[in-house]
Amino acid sequence: MTAFSALLSHYRRHPWQGIALALLMLMATALWTGIYHLTSQARASLSQSERVVEARYQVQRVDGAALSVEDFVTLRRQGLCLMPWLEVLPEGESRRVIGVDPLAALCFQGQADVVSFDGQPLRGDPFMDIADAAALPARQAQLFLIVDPDTGELSADYRITDFSLAPDTGQLGDSFLLNLDALSVLVLLITGLLLRSVYLLSLSQRRDSFALLHRFGVSPRRVRGHLVAELVGLAALTLMPGILLGQLLANALAGGFASVMEGLFDSRQFVTSGNSWLMPALVMVTLLLLVCAVDWLIPEKLRKAFAVANRSGGLSLLLLVAGGAGVWLAANLLFLFGSVALMLAGAGLLMPWCLSVLSSRLAQASKQPFRRWWWAEFGVLCRRLALPLVALQLSLAMVLAVQALVTTFEATFDHWLGQRLSADYYLEVPTDADGQVAVDWLEQNLPESSGAIWHRVLRGQGQLDVSGHEQSVDIFAVAPVGALVSDWRLIESAGQPWQRLAAGQGVMVNEQLAYRHELAAGDSVQLTLAGQSLRLPVLGVYPDYGRPAGEILLAADQLPDDFSVSFESFSISPGEVDIEVITEALSALWQEPALTLRDNRSIRDLANRVFEQTFMLTRAMTMLTLVLAAVALLLMGWVFLSTRLWYFRLLAVWGTARTGIFLSLLTLALTVSVSAAALALPVGIGLTWVLVQRINPLAFGWSLPLDLYPGFWLELLGLALLIGLCIGLLMRRQLGRPAVRPSVTGTITGGER
Amino acid sequence: MRCWWLSMVAMVWLVTGCSKPDSEAGFAGLADSRDGSLGFEQPAPGDVLVFPEDFGAHPAHRIEWWYLTANLETEAGDPLGLQWTQFRQALEPRSTDATPPEPSAWPMQAAWMAHAAVSHQGQHWFQERLARGDLGQAGAIAEPFEVWLDHWRMAAGDHPNQWQLTVSQGQPGQQGYWAFDLELSVKGLPVAHGDQGFSAKSASGEGSMYFSLVDIEVTGTVTLADKDLNVQGKAWFDREWSSQFLKAGQQGWDWFALHLDSGDKLMAFRLREEGGHFRSGTWIPRSGEPRALSSDQLQLKPTAGSGPVPTRWRLQVPGQDVDIELVAPEGNYTNDGLFPYWESPVSVSGSHSGAGYMELTGYNN
Repeated sequence: MTAFSALLSHYRRHPWQGIALALLMLMATALWTGIYHLTSQARASLSQSERVVEARYQVQRVDGAALSVEDFVTLRRQGLCLMPWLEVLPEGESRRVIGVDPLAALCFQGQADVVSFDGQPLRGDPFMDIADAAALPARQAQLFLIVDPDTGELSADYRITDFSLAPDTGQLGDSFLLNLDALSVLVLLITGLLLRSVYLLSLSQRRDSFALLHRFGVSPRRVRGHLVAELVGLAALTLMPGILLGQLLANALAGGFASVMEGLFDSRQFVTSGNSWLMPALVMVTLLLLVCAVDWLIPEKLRKAFAVANRSGGLSLLLLVAGGAGVWLAANLLFLFGSVALMLAGAGLLMPWCLSVLSSRLAQASKQPFRRWWWAEFGVLCRRLALPLVALQLSLAMVLAVQALVTTFEATFDHWLGQRLSADYYLEVPTDADGQVAVDWLEQNLPESSGAIWHRVLRGQGQLDVSGHEQSVDIFAVAPVGALVSDWRLIESAGQPWQRLAAGQGVMVNEQLAYRHELAAGDSVQLTLAGQSLRLPVLGVYPDYGRPAGEILLAADQLPDDFSVSFESFSISPGEVDIEVITEALSALWQEPALTLRDNRSIRDLANRVFEQTFMLTRAMTMLTLVLAAVALLLMGWVFLSTRLWYFRLLAVWGTARTGIFLSLLTLALTVSVSAAALALPVGIGLTWVLVQRINPLAFGWSLPLDLYPGFWLELLGLALLIGLCIGLLMRRQLGRPAVRPSVTGTITGGER
Repeated sequence: MRCWWLSMVAMVWLVTGCSKPDSEAGFAGLADSRDGSLGFEQPAPGDVLVFPEDFGAHPAHRIEWWYLTANLETEAGDPLGLQWTQFRQALEPRSTDATPPEPSAWPMQAAWMAHAAVSHQGQHWFQERLARGDLGQAGAIAEPFEVWLDHWRMAAGDHPNQWQLTVSQGQPGQQGYWAFDLELSVKGLPVAHGDQGFSAKSASGEGSMYFSLVDIEVTGTVTLADKDLNVQGKAWFDREWSSQFLKAGQQGWDWFALHLDSGDKLMAFRLREEGGHFRSGTWIPRSGEPRALSSDQLQLKPTAGSGPVPTRWRLQVPGQDVDIELVAPEGNYTNDGLFPYWESPVSVSGSHSGAGYMELTGYNN
């Protein structure tokens, strides 16, 4: 029998241990593969949905007449890159389809593809061939002509205007994707910890075999070599099933996601990934080799020095403080991520140390021998299960952070959409038309009893005097200041800000302007509008979600008569009145047959659906990590406690009732898991803070609000209790079985005897 | 002529892409079908050319093209090659006298594709455009002659033999802009290939209607890299239509149109197939009647290549004492569109000297 086959013989005698080991490895591989797929899919889905709703330009006829195929042909024959976009609301349907001509789109895409448009198949979800769309019995149909404005001059009969399905999410989407990437790296770290604990477990389980081999003259180095070979062999067996399982998992989640996405604007926004098994396989093999080779990569002297340095928790604290300082002071993202890694390493090292110190202090303080034994056993558990415990702690922290992040993002998106799209419709005032005419008409014809709400927005430029320097700011003048703005969420405000704004007693400033010039509610600003100087108090600061320009919001009455209005619009929620009645009347008053009207409700619906589903994926991804960490702790706690049964049997020999022993075991398991959860809280809060308050400002120059959700903390504590309970119940079964001797992790020479 | 292979690939693309299941089902058997089983008319020996109608579109046929190559010279004496082709691919047959569908329905009974390329000093500029038919965005009219897709256009002027060809890509002053604007002076009558215009494409009788204008004088301007180049030279114009595709086993197409300095013209092609190639051609003497060349009357063999593409050929027509070498200039002349193929000018040496154009398909796959 060779040394290698002698090593493997352990699993012949204890097949369940081998199966547990393989299972953990398989699950770790499946987890990271699944997350890798979900992350890349979430990224692709988000970017594709953004591409679908991205801003485009359209051509309109100056005479206001509806566009026709003749206009398309005329402009194409003038050399313009132009494509038709036929929006059809089919009879009996609630969602629009969009007819496109992939042949005409060649000049936009660079290459023609008659079976898809913008990467989406022409199956009516929402895109279909324009001939099929035109043939549908339609309740509504409108032809738009999308143009690349850089491809030529338009004749005088046409003009170019913006065309978009939804507001550009811009940096909000980018920010979310960056956070997804950060989380993906964190998941890899947790997977590494789990694999490392699997490796150490394989050592601890076979202490007797190692001792025997050592006596037969097999060097520890050779044993380690065999162990790595064994793990690599095990990985070879579990890697592919793990990757397949991960893909299945991702596809199962993605399937549900895709079906919901199909409901979105009849749009198949979800991008299914191809056969991308190579990357997860490479990453997992590299990770496995690193995890096994860490004993050789870090010299023993250095490891011992680390252990000595951390005997009093000094090293952990040092890492934590250094990481914390780095996070606080980081001037770029790379430095920030490095600091976060330091902080997590510190927190990971500190937790077992804290629990160990706590247990030994409490053991020493206990006068009752049984209690003392209990705390000492707790200390042993914490030390021996350090890695899976840290993995659980980090998983819990991550779930906590992601919950806060995603909920914050959801709320932010919601507020952002609410702020941008507060009214049901958005109507542009045509150039040279008089907005006051519309105001008079709206005041007369939309009484409060109709439930209609509206306001007029006048845009222009003003000068803000900040410490003697003048700065141009965008002016938004609103009239009347009413319900469409008063439910905006303000970052800070003085008392009754909207009433005072309506009364002309001050202005609101946007987040960027306030941040740049350290303006707060109650401060005064010196504003010059059309040569007229005004000094007004800041009544509130409203979020701008990444818009870099400085903005000032005020009541329209405060504008000087000669203020130059660059753009004018109306936001209208028509209540019981049909919007067409309004547009027809205004069209007649302005003598402008083609008004630009945007349906904010459908835009909001579209944007909400896209983001909701992306968030769902992120939550699923973190919950998977937590499940794996919990199962890992469960399995390892079970295996490890099995090796401690010898001591528990002694309790029975000393006269403790079996129920008493079980209760001791149960309380031990519960305390360990709940301790991990409790210690995960500060790490999770720290991580949330880093994600929303540090990464975002560094990457994009604006911050998300830091919202914590204590209700969710309780849910996580409940989950930790459940894990502890499961370990305890598993151990109850073990109590009746023959006990094995205690083992020491990380030792393979048997010299401790 | 040579667009045969290209048309077959394009048709597969359009048929599968444009979702006409019945067409797709009928496609596989069509190569052997003599009458066009989906209702398309199919040319056959005995069919004759009708002018000027045959300069226009043939909606009852499945595939057709208008094609011009030109061997030009700049004022500095540098050679410049130029190609313009417009294809029509029908997805549904329509009789010549039937009413076209309403443009407002955005019909997809036919798709059009236009290619334009310029070859100069080892560089090659190429662009393609696509359009659906029956909208007015693309089309062809026999009289007054006009073929267009978007703003690319070939059309007769005040005189029916004076044509203008305009193509531009990009915006003047912007990077990548190139264009040509040519005056074409058509000399002589159309030359019918094969049997009074029916040009066989295999030994078993598949074929197309095919005629050429082989003597066209060209003057005009070609704009490349922000430089206007005044050019003059000779062009060759082809018209061809059919409803059949390549026979099973035919792998590609090698086609040549040559202006010999003797004043004679020569068209030759071969369809590569397993177990021997199908060759055909037309000898057009400076004076006298054109003579169709059958497979055994001409030899056409590649002698050297650039990668998989043979760029040096030997062409022999023993009956006319022709034994010439055809050489493409250095460079890559692949038209890198939806269906890549080689399109380059060639120089002629050997028993005769001259210049011409070469199109090679089926080497990319």
